[in-house]
Order: sequence, then C-alpha cells, then structure tokens
Amino acid sequence: MMLIHFELLGAGLFCLGVYGVLARRSGVMILMAVELMLNAVNVNLVAFAAFRDIPTATGQVIAIFVITIAAAEVALALAIIMRLFRSRGSVNVDQIDLMGG
Amino acid sequence: MRVDFSLLLPEMLLAGLGFLVLIVDLVLPQERPERRNKAVAAVAVAGMAAVAAMALATAPDRTESVYGGLLFIDAYALLFKTLFLGVGIAVVLMSVEYVGRVIRHPGEFYGLIVFAVLGANLMASAGELLTAYIALELLSFCLFVLVGLTRGDRRSAEASTKYILLGAISSAVLLYGISLLYGTMGTTVFREMGPGLAINFSPTVIVGFAMLLAGIGFKLALVPFHLWAPDVYEGAPTPITALVAVLSKAATFALLLRFLAEVSTGRFDQWQLALAVLAAATMTVGTLTALVQRNIKRLLAYSSIAQVGFVMVGVVAMTEAGANAVLLHLVGYAFTNLAAFAVVVTVEAKTRKEEIADYAGLSTASPLMAMVLTAAMFSLAGLPIFAGFITKFYLFTAAADAGYLWLAALAITNSVISLYYYLRVVREMYISEPEVEPERIRLSPSSAGALWVLLAGTIAVGVYPGPLAAAVDAATDALRAYAGGA
Repeated sequence: MMLIHFELLGAGLFCLGVYGVLARRSGVMILMAVELMLNAVNVNLVAFAAFRDIPTATGQVIAIFVITIAAAEVALALAIIMRLFRSRGSVNVDQIDLMGG
Repeated sequence: MRVDFSLLLPEMLLAGLGFLVLIVDLVLPQERPERRNKAVAAVAVAGMAAVAAMALATAPDRTESVYGGLLFIDAYALLFKTLFLGVGIAVVLMSVEYVGRVIRHPGEFYGLIVFAVLGANLMASAGELLTAYIALELLSFCLFVLVGLTRGDRRSAEASTKYILLGAISSAVLLYGISLLYGTMGTTVFREMGPGLAINFSPTVIVGFAMLLAGIGFKLALVPFHLWAPDVYEGAPTPITALVAVLSKAATFALLLRFLAEVSTGRFDQWQLALAVLAAATMTVGTLTALVQRNIKRLLAYSSIAQVGFVMVGVVAMTEAGANAVLLHLVGYAFTNLAAFAVVVTVEAKTRKEEIADYAGLSTASPLMAMVLTAAMFSLAGLPIFAGFITKFYLFTAAADAGYLWLAALAITNSVISLYYYLRVVREMYISEPEVEPERIRLSPSSAGALWVLLAGTIAVGVYPGPLAAAVDAATDALRAYAGGA
C-alpha cells in the first residue's frame, strides 16, 4: 500500500460525497453525503501523517477534531431539519422556496 | 512548552460570560418575562464591555503567541476583538425589544451572541489552520441556531436549514483543502507554511488552496458562493441578520487577511488575479441584483455582498496600504451597517413591516430613525463626510497603486450604480406619500442611545479617521508581510 492509494480513496470518497450532495433531495441524505466528504478528509489526513515524513502528529489530531466537530454539526443539523419537518411536513430541500432565493 | 494563560484571559472570561448569561436566564423568576429579558441583556452588555476594557488594559506591547503559534495575541487581534465586542454589544442593545416580542428564552439568544463573538475573536487571533477552523465553526454553529430561533416563523426554519446544509458542505470543502495543504507542506501553522506556499505551484497546492478559498468564500458570500445569503438574511430574526452581515464577514476577513499576510511576503501574483476576479464578480452581481429588491432585508443582503466585493479589492492589493484600507473599511462598515439594521429592527418591532415601500413617511413617524437610516445609506453608497467615502477611497487607491487599475475602475462604477438603490430608500422615507397617516414611533432610551452612537461612529470615521488610522496601522504592522513597514 502506498500513499497514492489512500489519496485516491480519499478523493473517491469526496467525489461520492459531492455527488450525493448534488443529487439527493432529502436534507438527511445530504447530511450523510457531507459525512462522506468529511471522512474523505480524515483518510487524507491520517494517510499524510503516516506516510509523509512529518515529525508531529498534527494529521491524527486534526482528524480527531474533525470527527468531533462533525458529530456536533450533525446533531445541530438534524435538530434544525426536525424543525423544518414540523413546520412543513417534509425534509425535501427543493420544496423550501418560501423566499425564492 | 510553557503557556502564559494570562494572555488568554479575555477569551476565557468571554466563554464564562456566555455560560453566565444562560444561568442568569435560568435562575431569574419566569413570571416577569419583560424584566428577565432586560436583566439578561444587561448582563450580556456589561460583561462584553468589561471584557473589552480588560482586553485593552492587559494587551501586551509586543506580539505574543501562545501554544507555539496557534494563537496570536497582538495589536491586529486586539483591534478586531474590540470591534467584535462592540458589535456584540450593539446587537444585544438593538434586539431587546425584538426579543421581548418574538423569542421565548432570552438567555439562549444573548448567550449564543456572546459565544459567536468569542468565535469571531478567536478567528482574529488564529495562526494555524485547525484553530482557525474550530473558531470559524464556533461562530457558524451559533449563527445556524440563532438564524432559526424564531419559533413558528416558517421562513426562519427554512433559512436555518439552508444555512446549515450549505455551511456543512462548505466546511467539508474547506477541510479537504486543509488536508491537501497539510499533506504538501507538512504543517498547518501559517508561519511555517509560508512563504513557500506563495511560490509552490504543484497541483496539490493549487487544488488545496482553491478549496480553502472556496470555503472562506462561502462564509464571506463571495460570488459564486453567495446564494445562501439573501434567504438567510430575510428569514433570520432581524438583529441576527445584522450579526451575520457584520460579525461573520469581518471575522472571516480578519482570518483571510492574516492568513494571506503570513504565508506570503506581500506578493502572491497568480492568486492575486484569482482573488481580483472573485472581487469583480462579487461586487458586480451584488450591485446589479440589489437594484430590483423590494424587501429591505434582501436589499441589505445584496448590498453587503457588494460591500464584500469592495473589501476584496483591498485584499487583492496585498500591500500594507491595502490591508490598512480593509481594516478601516471594516470598522466603518460595522458602524454603518449596524446603524441601518438598528433602524430596520426597530421599525420591524414597532410596525412588523419590512418592505422598502413601508418606509414611506418614516421621516414624520420618527425623524431620528429616518436621519440615521439616511446617513447609513449615504455612507454605504460612499458619499463624503460619511465613513463609506473615505474608506472606499483608501481601498480603491490601494488597488490602483498595486496595479489593479481595472479593478478600481470597476469598483467605482459599481459604487455609482449602487447610489440608485441606496437613494431609493431615502426617497421613500422623505418624499413618497404614505398611504395611511404615519403614527409617531416612540423609541426606548436604549435604542435611541444605540442609534445616536452608531450615527456618531459613522460620521466620526468619515470626518476624523486619524486615531482609527493609527490603530489600524499598528494592527497591520503585527502581520509578517507588513512588519516594519511605513
């Protein structure tokens, strides 16, 4: 296994996430796609930290922080989507057009 | 590594204040919501004023950094901290009446504002990418919640959903960029990354840097990442619209300017051109779209997009004069925009109206508010004696001196076009005949006081920028690229 394999895995996951974000209508599904993108970031960070000759553990540390912040972000986003569901009865993002923006 | 925690005292106290505000809201009796609201707001305002005074009093005379360069405690951070705390105080003052009417738990509202200010302060101090990212998320998370805090308003629920989904996507893009830069440079500390970053043109660095810029561009609402802005501005509780427009923009500029100045030594050719194109697109789209808006909050949204484009003109220059102009404009812009929003918030709290046509007759209903809004509109348009004129003048001169004459010319053209929509609001207030006889609007002492202070600030920056310019000069001297400059 070489660094390039991990980089490709990361890039592939990220593109999958971007596709999900663009193709999905449901707010929850978009969140899951964002999670894919964030995990691509983690793969990248850990792989760089392991393979490149970097003395400090910055990569792993950032990955841990990314996991933590992503968890907080999902909790917040789900709560907000719940509110949207209560007021509109749907989590479809292409139906939120009250303001036409 | 020894860490001098006393340097971080203002940040720690501000975090403590956030919790204190939440607790005060909990322990005060629930039966008198009006008094509870005022007491909680008073705690927040007094606390932020105390933290600002402390930060100014304990500021070290030279640049200090803690945690091995993760955070800088310097004149640059100090200027922005004072500005952000001032913005926080102004927003709390202008929202007291609004909160009493719309929000059930004032503690959540004011507490989140305090935490947002804390995030903004850390962004201005951050000297490392992960620290900057965490500070950015602290600010953004608070704003996501605040935007959706009006219960029962469907626009508010929609706005916060859009904001958090797009915000999550943009931070994923930003992080991917950070991971690529980390992989190439082997560090995330600004000072260690530069000045190599500015001249390294490997594909990884280009992609990583572009993704970083895209993530930051989202927070700034640069075109083409601006689509969230008008809806969020319209749907958010109006005081929070002011917070998004002023605090998050200024904090992101603080971060961007420090990052660019630390990783380059002043020149950044290819990237400068990319930034110039973004600036040109942002101000043109913002100005042209603002021409057709009917809702005052949407008008201010597009106007702030255009203003961000103007500030980018100064960032593009990458000279000390450009950085000075950016800081000066951000201070003037904070006063001006807060003044405009203070009027919009008060009018909305009194009459529940937010269309530009509803402002007909405001000059008889409340001469003070009409005067303040007029001054704000003149200042945003860049007319002399107000802050906008002098700061825009510095911005465009800096860009022209740095060789971006076309950008300066385009900025001036946009500025002239923008006169049309700013003056439309003024015409509505003073000339248009209102359909019904306007009722006189009585202002509470706190909002009247806030209006006078903001008006004075808008004019003071315009006629006597001397002391501010000196502070700004000291601030940019703390950045590596401009250290020891004239």
